[in-house]
Amino acid sequence: MESLIRTMDDSLAEVLRDESRNSGRAESVSFPRSEEEVLKVLAYCRSRGISITVQGARTGLAAAAVPYGGHVLNCSKMNQVIGCRQDEHGRFILTCQPGVILSELKKAIDSKSFDMSLWSDESKACFEKVRKAERQFFPPDPTEASATIGGMAACNASGARTFAYKSMRAHVDRVRMVLTTGKVVDVRRGQATAQGRSLELSLLPEGLLQLDLPTYQMPLTKNAAGYYVEDDMDAVDLLVGSDGTLGVMTEIDCILVPHPTFIWGVSCFFPREQEAVEFVIAARAQVADLVALESFDGNALQLLREQRLMSSAFSRLPQVPEDYGYCIYAELHGSEEGCMLEALKKLGDLTESVGGDRKHTWVARNEADLALLQFFRHAVPESTNLLIDRRKQVCPVITKLSTDMSVPDDKLREVVAMYRRGLAEVGLESAAWGHIGNNHIHVNLLPRDEDEFVRGKALYQRWAEAVVAMGGAVAAEHGIGKTKVAMLKSMYGEKHIQEMRAVKVAFDPLQLLGQGNLFPVEGGEQQ
Amino acid sequence: MRIAVCVKQVPSSNEVRMDPVTNTIIRDGKQSVINPYDRFALELALQIKERLGGSVVVVSMGIPATARILKEALSCGADEAVLLSDRAFAGADTLATSYTLHLGIRKIEQRLGKFDLVLCGRMAIDGDTAQIGPELAEQLGIPHITDMEELLEISQEQLVCCRLADGERQRVAVQLPVLLTVNKDINQPRLPNIEGVLWAETAPLHLWNAIDVQANLKRCGLTGSPTQVVRTQVPQRDQECKILLGSVSEQLKVLQHLLKGED
Amino acid sequence: MAGLRINTSLCIGCGLCVSACPQGVLVLEDGVAVEQDGCIFCGICVQTCPVQAISIEKEEVVDENIQYSGIWVMTQLRGDGSLLPVSLELLGQGLRLAQERGCELSILLAGAVDLQVQSEQLIQAGADKVYVCQDASFAIGLEEPYYTWLADMARTHKPEVILVGATDWGRSIAPRVAARLRTGLTADCTVLSIDPETELLLQTRPAFGGNLMATIISPNHRPQMATVRPGIFPLPEPIAKPKGEIIRCEPLAKIVPLLELLQCETAQSGRTLADAEILLIAGRGIGNQKNLKLMQTLAEALGADWGVSRPLVDAGWAEYQHQVGQTGSTVAPRVLLSFGVSGAIQHLAGIGRSECIVAINTDATAPIFSVAQIGIVGDCVEIIKEWLKQIEGDSTV
Repeated sequence: MESLIRTMDDSLAEVLRDESRNSGRAESVSFPRSEEEVLKVLAYCRSRGISITVQGARTGLAAAAVPYGGHVLNCSKMNQVIGCRQDEHGRFILTCQPGVILSELKKAIDSKSFDMSLWSDESKACFEKVRKAERQFFPPDPTEASATIGGMAACNASGARTFAYKSMRAHVDRVRMVLTTGKVVDVRRGQATAQGRSLELSLLPEGLLQLDLPTYQMPLTKNAAGYYVEDDMDAVDLLVGSDGTLGVMTEIDCILVPHPTFIWGVSCFFPREQEAVEFVIAARAQVADLVALESFDGNALQLLREQRLMSSAFSRLPQVPEDYGYCIYAELHGSEEGCMLEALKKLGDLTESVGGDRKHTWVARNEADLALLQFFRHAVPESTNLLIDRRKQVCPVITKLSTDMSVPDDKLREVVAMYRRGLAEVGLESAAWGHIGNNHIHVNLLPRDEDEFVRGKALYQRWAEAVVAMGGAVAAEHGIGKTKVAMLKSMYGEKHIQEMRAVKVAFDPLQLLGQGNLFPVEGGEQQ
Repeated sequence: MRIAVCVKQVPSSNEVRMDPVTNTIIRDGKQSVINPYDRFALELALQIKERLGGSVVVVSMGIPATARILKEALSCGADEAVLLSDRAFAGADTLATSYTLHLGIRKIEQRLGKFDLVLCGRMAIDGDTAQIGPELAEQLGIPHITDMEELLEISQEQLVCCRLADGERQRVAVQLPVLLTVNKDINQPRLPNIEGVLWAETAPLHLWNAIDVQANLKRCGLTGSPTQVVRTQVPQRDQECKILLGSVSEQLKVLQHLLKGED
Repeated sequence: MAGLRINTSLCIGCGLCVSACPQGVLVLEDGVAVEQDGCIFCGICVQTCPVQAISIEKEEVVDENIQYSGIWVMTQLRGDGSLLPVSLELLGQGLRLAQERGCELSILLAGAVDLQVQSEQLIQAGADKVYVCQDASFAIGLEEPYYTWLADMARTHKPEVILVGATDWGRSIAPRVAARLRTGLTADCTVLSIDPETELLLQTRPAFGGNLMATIISPNHRPQMATVRPGIFPLPEPIAKPKGEIIRCEPLAKIVPLLELLQCETAQSGRTLADAEILLIAGRGIGNQKNLKLMQTLAEALGADWGVSRPLVDAGWAEYQHQVGQTGSTVAPRVLLSFGVSGAIQHLAGIGRSECIVAINTDATAPIFSVAQIGIVGDCVEIIKEWLKQIEGDSTV
């Protein structure tokens, strides 16, 4: 037991941080390599009443993986794909341990090559079929491809392609989860469905969980705020997106789909935001095979222009044409080249119709060019982070303030106008980019000093309330974690928060897991 | 100014690995691409055309599917493309390939007039012999300059360029026509735009076989290749490697001693 | 017409050739192997077939019935007139090949300056003949005078083999000469030998991204030409009784070179990776650019140099001057730390002369371990981070 539970020391300091740039503290850490070891760690903590924070690759943006005392259970050593099966629809499904890294998984799927030394014979036989089948593909594409499958399942990760392919939840067929009680939940889609808002889950080795699901209606938009609940829901959907509060996932079954024959990316430039918004509204109604619509506002483009000059790593970026204040990236997936060309033509026509120029577009039709456009897209948040890091050196209290809010389709113009008004009123620097196709734009507030930081947070709060009133979600993809606990409350209200807590308590009676995630700890909200 | 650019379709990744268990080749399932070095050559050609006017013709020898990368070149701004494709061309080493390419170039010249410039990427990432450039120049009977780094001056009659070879930077002047091979990163290859992509669908893309270019079959393909492979094998090695076990800090200690020169 | 022949009556439909083909050109149809477009005639399927059902047929093109004889090495001079080491390395190989073949070794030397000293150096090293040509054109005409002269000489004297160093200069003249003589040229050979049965030059080089070696021959065309990278072969030992002759050749026929060398300066070289004493190299296993930066930081902290394998340069993560391997720099450090490099043959060719290679890779079967003295099967990034932590710890103490 000694070697499994390690006392926290400086060499392990990394586990106290995640990508939200928050840092916490912990007394001990473990890196279990199997479900058996996970059970041991949970038993150890349970018997001593020690709180537990579960981690994947710590790429989360809401501090869900940041511990505030207690024990850290890090899943990075459970990083194998352990099985393969085919479901009744003929889809191939890979069973992944929580620490499998997304980029590694994608590489393995591309080259159809896995370490099958521990696989069962059925899995190996099934994989022979995969080898012979057409090229396969796992759609979820969060920007940070070094995320783990476990982390992605815990926060219901999204990416640019979520516009068409939907978020992680849609691609998970089964979850196996170890609870702090020592019991295990192992449920496949279709095996356990709720009756209305009443859900019964079998436990292993024996037992039953009776759950009264919360009674709120989730917003009809991209949403990762709180537990996923709806009438007659599938149990798997509750477990995905539970933000590390219900149990430790030890196996996640990921559904593969055939790789699209054609993947094309197109960057279109517009004079101003207004034109770009009209383009988006028209494109999503009229263009077939569209899987992503991403936006970059003028400030983001300007940051890129500056970064390009400052750093040789960014000099590879294509030069953004001058006089354009907005960029939209559209991605097409299809199986017929004729249809792809039609869609491309339509995008060109729409660009021209709102005042853009078909000649000022970038089209990527092969992997190298797509990678370049992806590099361009990732350079935007990276440039912002570098800017904040520079400012933080002068004023340490500053941190990035990035919204993660989405609204229904018919509210896009309204929410964009609201963001601009708010920024102008408060006079803050900003850069905005995101999944405009889902009306989910990350507005990044760039405070220059503490005063601006405080005013920025207040603005953010006002926006959250307005977004909820529009029927939107305050945490569309990053999850609530710890940083948005107050927003969850504004979104749903105390009564529903208590309903969620009741579900959590059913899974985790001592409330040891993920303290500070979704629910405030005694003593108030963590910062 | 008439410019010919030779391009090659290559596998996207430079690795063919063997699955140690099944002893089969692991292909990464990714599509073929235009040889990265050739993209820089194409971009140079397009920039020269923008400056001096004229036309850019892209030439390739390959299987019919190579037409796809030629369309990509057209969508970036090339005016015409030629694909030399015939079973008789298959299995060619660099001599036979350069012979075939030169036939294609000659045939275009019959209609357009002689090329002032022939541009090639320095090498292909799959064959990586870097032989096509000089061999093609010989077949065409024009001078060649390899490892071109920067084009300093160019007019309709001559050019001055800078090349980096064996640690020396050389400024070279030459009367046109000349063949240049270009290295990576001499410029930033442009992405096509929507207009270019749509135009490329109906742009001139000629598919020529051995008869079309009046090829001497004895000089093409496998028949025309002086070199041939007799054996392919996994290399034998007999180095004894000591694997360090233990924790990372223990392993590090060994490495740190090694660096200091201790045994 | 030449091509791949699959004898369908012998074929048992086992599919081994299908899996073995690196181009994915073979498929099974109705129980027998069928060839599709794209065959590059590498011959792997021929070797793989358990029942010898596959063959490559080629028309024999017989050359004129003239005797070709002799091993030739074309030398290259530095700006100061001294011989490049690669020329001597090839001379050493040439001696061995000449012995195996039972013929003479001739060295070709051309330049604009007085070449007496260099000629004698070559005789001392063991050349049977040194053909020397001194002409002012060699100074201003780039490679053109050299390849013109070499091709002329080859036509006149009919050597059986010509070896050239695969420097940038060599890679410009060798193919030009090969095309002029309508003969075969194999680039970047790592092993050369004479086949005792066929008496052909066996030219071995890395293929298919470097995990396989291909042996190539030029059976019906002469001379057989090959280029070899600097540092692949060792410098020759001095020979006991040098006894060669120096043959002065006519200056070039009046050619006005079409290329004019206007100016020449040494590119800012300073230290190169070849000078490194301790060298850290990152391969694809380093994962991403952030981790590469960590390795660079570690190198700086250790006072070491850093390099990368080719895929990282191709991906744009590092510039070409940091590339280690056959198409990059050949290195020979005292200690080489290889992080996440799998060990493609071209890369191994570039590091082979290192005193001590330490390989760190998560894949225990990676070829890099076959050339390393010390190995760690583990996460290279973890090691780098741990090392950096220790260094930081030491500096704060």
